[in-house]
Amino acid sequence: MQPFDYVKPKTLEEASALLLQHNGQARPFAGCTDLLIRIERGFLHPDVVVDIKALPGMREVAVQPDGHLRIGAAATMNQVALHPAVLERWPLLAEGCASVASYQLRNRATVGGNLCNASPAADSAPALLCYEAVAHIFGPAGQRSVPLEQFFLGPGKTVLERGELLTAITVPPPAPGAVGHFLKLGRTAVGDISVVSVAVLGWPDLGAPSGTSWHIALGAVAPTPIRAAEAERLLGQDASPAGVEAASRAAAAAARPIDDIRASAAYRTDMVRVLTRRGVERVLAEMRAS
Amino acid sequence: MTIKKTTIVGQSFQRVESNAKVTGAAQYVDDLQFGPNLLHGRLKRSPLPHALIKRIDVSKAKALPGVRVVVTGQDYPGLTGLYLSDRPIFAVDRVRFVGEPVAGVAAETPELAEKACDLIEVEYEELPGVFDPEYGASPEAPLIHPNLGEYACAPFIFRRPGTNISNWFKVRKGNMEQGWAEADYIYEHTYRVPQVQHVPLETHATVAQVDGNGKITLWSSSQSPFAQRNLIAKSLGISHSKLRVITPYVGGGFGSKAGVSMEGACVAMALKAKGRPVKLVMSRAEEFYTTFVRQGLVAKIKMGMTKDGRITAMQNTYYWDAGAYTEYGVNITRAAGYSSTGPYYVPNVHADSLCVYTNHPIGGAMRGFGMPEIHWAIEQHIDRMAEHLGLDPVQVRLLNCLKDGQETVTGMPMHPTGLSQCIQKAAEAIGWGKPSQPSGPHKRRGKGIAAMWKAPAMPPNPGSAATIRFNEDGTCLVNIGGVDMGQGTLTIAAQLAAEGLGIPIEDVRVNTVDTDYSPYEWQTVASRITWSMGNAILAAAEEAKMQIIQMVAEVWGENPQDLDIIDGNVVSFATEESIPLKNIVVYGMQKPDGTWVGGPVVGKGRFMPTYVTPLDPETGQGPRAVVHFTTGAQAAEVEVDEETGEVRVIKLVSAYDVGKAINPDMVKTQMEGGAVQGMSTALLEQIILKNGQPLNPTFTDYRIATAVDAPLEMEDIIVEVPQDDGPFGARGIGEHAMVPTAPAIANAVRAAVGVEIDSMPITSEKVWRALREKRGANGNR
Amino acid sequence: MRHEISFTVNGERYDITVQSHHTLLQVLREQLVLTGTKNGCSEGECGACTVLMDGEPVNSCLVLGVEADGHEIITVEGLATDGHLAPIQRTMVELGGTQCGFCTPGILIAAHALLQRNPNPSEQEIREGLVGNLCRCTGYMRIIAAVREAARLQQADTLN
Repeated sequence: MQPFDYVKPKTLEEASALLLQHNGQARPFAGCTDLLIRIERGFLHPDVVVDIKALPGMREVAVQPDGHLRIGAAATMNQVALHPAVLERWPLLAEGCASVASYQLRNRATVGGNLCNASPAADSAPALLCYEAVAHIFGPAGQRSVPLEQFFLGPGKTVLERGELLTAITVPPPAPGAVGHFLKLGRTAVGDISVVSVAVLGWPDLGAPSGTSWHIALGAVAPTPIRAAEAERLLGQDASPAGVEAASRAAAAAARPIDDIRASAAYRTDMVRVLTRRGVERVLAEMRAS
Repeated sequence: MTIKKTTIVGQSFQRVESNAKVTGAAQYVDDLQFGPNLLHGRLKRSPLPHALIKRIDVSKAKALPGVRVVVTGQDYPGLTGLYLSDRPIFAVDRVRFVGEPVAGVAAETPELAEKACDLIEVEYEELPGVFDPEYGASPEAPLIHPNLGEYACAPFIFRRPGTNISNWFKVRKGNMEQGWAEADYIYEHTYRVPQVQHVPLETHATVAQVDGNGKITLWSSSQSPFAQRNLIAKSLGISHSKLRVITPYVGGGFGSKAGVSMEGACVAMALKAKGRPVKLVMSRAEEFYTTFVRQGLVAKIKMGMTKDGRITAMQNTYYWDAGAYTEYGVNITRAAGYSSTGPYYVPNVHADSLCVYTNHPIGGAMRGFGMPEIHWAIEQHIDRMAEHLGLDPVQVRLLNCLKDGQETVTGMPMHPTGLSQCIQKAAEAIGWGKPSQPSGPHKRRGKGIAAMWKAPAMPPNPGSAATIRFNEDGTCLVNIGGVDMGQGTLTIAAQLAAEGLGIPIEDVRVNTVDTDYSPYEWQTVASRITWSMGNAILAAAEEAKMQIIQMVAEVWGENPQDLDIIDGNVVSFATEESIPLKNIVVYGMQKPDGTWVGGPVVGKGRFMPTYVTPLDPETGQGPRAVVHFTTGAQAAEVEVDEETGEVRVIKLVSAYDVGKAINPDMVKTQMEGGAVQGMSTALLEQIILKNGQPLNPTFTDYRIATAVDAPLEMEDIIVEVPQDDGPFGARGIGEHAMVPTAPAIANAVRAAVGVEIDSMPITSEKVWRALREKRGANGNR
Repeated sequence: MRHEISFTVNGERYDITVQSHHTLLQVLREQLVLTGTKNGCSEGECGACTVLMDGEPVNSCLVLGVEADGHEIITVEGLATDGHLAPIQRTMVELGGTQCGFCTPGILIAAHALLQRNPNPSEQEIREGLVGNLCRCTGYMRIIAAVREAARLQQADTLN
């Protein structure tokens, strides 16, 4: 591994300035479960890594007075996956975070890192999309906030501009009675990178023809994690077995996967259908039971 | 053969070295300390699968401060290879696979060595490549080794200069026309196995140093310290006595650390390092495609069967995807030839096993040595034929499997074997014929079975030696050349020595290998160590014991036949006298007349099979192709998700005839570990190559089974039909444990959902695709 | 590029200078010569380098040495207390959970940590707790059994 320097700024301003100074050769550094591998493999040659873990609020996971969950960008996957409030009110997110790699890796891997790498397969993303999370960004021009759905631009690409860093994610509380599940297909049973992932969130909604409303998000089947809007709409109309099947097909139609060494596009597309149907069936069963 | 009642052999002792391993005290090569004098080596590798080297410029690398050594193929043009010397340490004028070393750099830090490699400029002229063995064997294929005919070669390897075929093993037995005529059903099919990697958790690691007298020491994570000494000394043209190989603990081998792969490069750098030690450790990526891989296989099977299930004829063609250098692979090809029918009596056989050069990673030995690959084909083929004929796969195997005295494919009479027992017991343990309930909707369960055989694949005369030396306190040191890479050599050696000497196992210490002090061992491969080294240890124990008994008999004035050593004491059955070994085994004993007898006790023993005969090059027939075969069977129960294609192994049963289990629990740990490795290759593993470029040389995309993927239940069954030339009747089990796993799982998948997967691995996507095609064929989705 | 750090390893305090790009694994193995912790992949996949950092398991190949400043590290060499093997060390020996031994240090740390946070894990919890530790020799069955047995021993110790 080629040498680089390490700095640990204390303020956001300092961090942002450092990222600007090195002309793109400074990399923000949190859990380093991804960055270090890319440096080791020779894909990245940073002059300096900027450890953002000491910045104010970066490692905190807390429910704000307004009821929204705030996740510091450098909070670890385990912090989120094992947080009592997350387990109680945002369990879909806990499932997504808990599905990443291994326990010891989740002690280092961060939610912010997972999102900023902008992998289509990022396992925290589908749940956060379902919960309509918001990304909070600090940069030379100050603070700004972006709905997570607009945060990703493509594989490895986000809206972050030079000198900007993700500081936190906020997650609004889900609708009363909401039930969610994260289904993930890997090559090994547990801990693999997602070949396909589907997050399903449903809640009772008397205004909807089916009596339920839905958010569904897909991972690893498009250039970014995406919502499956048509599937959501169809389920709002009809959550009978036929409706679920139709919605699952709509989710599959929303997928735009590629062939790669992990799976073919055709397999991924069909797995979106299967996992969506299974997820929705499971959510419906639990909604009925409660 | 009479087998004495044993007290230590047959007992499940804990591993003698496990305390060192659970405290972090066990040292592997990379843990040894060499101080600030140590230089760090890195290799410059070819980015192309097949090309001529037009120019190498190392000047910029040499000019980098802190770089001490830069070597290329011009410095060491000699060739090496266990059976066929086809491989340079660094490419000389041509590269033949992606990752082939073209230069080596040793520098003050790993970072500098890495940077220096980047500064080496190599100009290539790319050549057309060979990426499929069947094509490679054809006349149209470009030649990868134009000088094949000039390489040094073992007499039992039949190369074809002017082609890419480095060995062609033939079997011509019986009368094929008659065999086909007797058959009621003839089925022909092609199966494929990709290149996979052994994945030892410790990657290849070496340190080499040359002292002021020109003596070279190589610390090497190796299964073959003596073979490495032999091959490296020969390729460098130096005396064996000038090269010393030290092998401490080894973090897994599975065949990858047999022979020589990257070790020569480390020695080559050390020779120019002015006395400084040079360390070379493979990264995980380098381990995946630059050391050794398991050869790929294209297997064409044609089999005839009568309607009651008797096999009448087999015509098999094996094209081995052996990679860029087949120095080791030629013997895998041979083993596949003399085992080509699987463990069955087949009167009429026509087999061709061809070792084919390709521009792929180098195929080497891997656990099973060709057997998992050919059994993948044979054992699926049998099930498919049995189903067509409406026969039970277990009964078909029991009908055809080799029985004592029946002729094997090469004409050798089969020795006593427990194969039928293994098949029966495996079937019984899996609940053959009894359906079991799937765990949920869209899931289907199925059971499958596969049988196997495997002989130690080696030259006819690989030898073992052992010495036993006593300490003053009555404890002893056993020196062997066999390597413990996790399979338990040290413990087995201790048990055999203790049993042979008549002392407690706690009084035996077994040393790891140092070729300057350890007696010769050919290699720790072929599942031959318990058997071959075991015989040498028993001989050494016998000699040491006789020295002790004769001394005591002389002093006591007794007949040596009345004395024995029991639990560390010499006892007389005649007089009921007894004396502990302490002191007398070093200082001797004083006789009544005041003079002395005896002296430091040193037992030495050796073993070498002397009875293996050559085989006819045109027919593959001969009186005794191999020393013996270990046989066995595995049965699997799987659950298949009909929608996703996921395969979950519910239960795996292993049953093997090990002759005699020296340590039954360790035999079972071999069975379990091998079965899970077999399961992992069956379901997950493949080096994905695109025009010779490896696309997944990381654990991220070369997945191996984890603790969650391991079967929910495993059962291990030991069958013991003694081996006439084995220590206490023992024969090997290390490799066999993964031979039938993949076809047993494939047969179970087929039983569960009715799809046939011809190519390993059985990925979820392949099952999904096959299910879709099947539904399409049936006219519904 | 060099940083002064203070940290404790297996209860001993160290004040050393580390290079910014060196991993905690390198610092432990090369500077402190605690070679029990192994490097199997450098990418956080195999788990052979697992150590405890402030009581929680991490892949030391993906932690920079400089990040250990002010923290408490436990390696396999620190699992035994006063020469007494920890329960998981004992059961791994007794039940044959180690073969080549290269993955063993990481397995021991991961299993030890699992039993700290979940003293009575189910079989599935044990398997998932070990998913970040690859073993190529044993087939995992003995390791799973060793963790189960260590849990039982620990609970018996607590009751006594």
